[in-house]
Amino acid sequence: MRSRRDVLRSAVLGGGAGVVAATAMGSLGPEAAFAAQKTAQKVEPGAPDPDFAEGRIRSIKDNTLLVLGSNLVFHTIRVVDGTSLWKLGPVPFDAARPGDGLYARGVRMPDGMLAAESVWLNIVNIRGHIKNIAGQTLRLDHNGHEVLCHVVPGKSVAIHSESPPTADLSMLKVSQHVQILGAWRPDTNEVDIATVFSPH
Amino acid sequence: MARSKATDPPADLLGPVQGEVSWFCCGTAWGPCSSTGKGACGTCNSGSLQHAWPNTSDACWSITRPDRCGVSLSRRTCGYRHRVTALCSGASVVTAIADCGPQTDLFCGERSCCGATCADNRLIDLTPAAYSQIASLSSGLRPVEISSA
Repeated sequence: MRSRRDVLRSAVLGGGAGVVAATAMGSLGPEAAFAAQKTAQKVEPGAPDPDFAEGRIRSIKDNTLLVLGSNLVFHTIRVVDGTSLWKLGPVPFDAARPGDGLYARGVRMPDGMLAAESVWLNIVNIRGHIKNIAGQTLRLDHNGHEVLCHVVPGKSVAIHSESPPTADLSMLKVSQHVQILGAWRPDTNEVDIATVFSPH
Repeated sequence: MARSKATDPPADLLGPVQGEVSWFCCGTAWGPCSSTGKGACGTCNSGSLQHAWPNTSDACWSITRPDRCGVSLSRRTCGYRHRVTALCSGASVVTAIADCGPQTDLFCGERSCCGATCADNRLIDLTPAAYSQIASLSSGLRPVEISSA
């Protein structure tokens, strides 16, 4: 049986037929794939993972993202039909913009291009104390830096320990320590909230 | 908030221990991560298979304090390897310690679940490269099993 990664690789190398095959397998969203990824780890613990990339989008051409890594290494990231993209939630490819930050996981091809399984646009996962709550915004002290977090109706949820996610964020309190997963607004100190994790 | 006596001996000496995992950025980075730095070991990078551990030194332990949540963990220093296995999917990754964290006591008693499978307390943080090997970054928090590798 071909692995999901083999299908992704053929989607890039083989063109259309591979893409159709990938789609027929169902979503290439990351969660569904992890159970099948129990092969031996190829990368030495502590070492950079060649199948992972981070940086900011410099340009977009057709289905390819040219990304400048924060370490100043360029990445060419190919998005195929089955690639899952996230930007405060699942989004189509045209939601990607030059200037967006990203993390991407996929399969590194022989020419150095990364065939993407998943691309997370502007995703941040920060912890801190709530300094202030006013209307639909929440000010977070994150390592001494203030981050202005926006509640996005229909998108933002809170998870209080093992309780199911709720759109009601009214239980959050000033001085409480929380984790906020969200989408950074590029070149600002502002974040749109996807999930607030609260221990109680 | 759940506060209880720490396990003695350290829970991870007796075998795998279950807890929560999240992810953190380090090294050169964009956005709110850009001020993070290279971590307590000076080697941390978001793109490497690394993790933060709550007991890398006395100074580290004094910040993270998992014992306040009833969990004692072994002293493990930079480069030590742990295997983290997602209880949701069974996927696992082996990573090396590159930082001190998470601040377990700030989330004491927190529980995360997938279906009926749950784990309590934040015991380890993975870099984005490592976390994305076992779960989607957008999940943010997952129950896992942690063992020495």
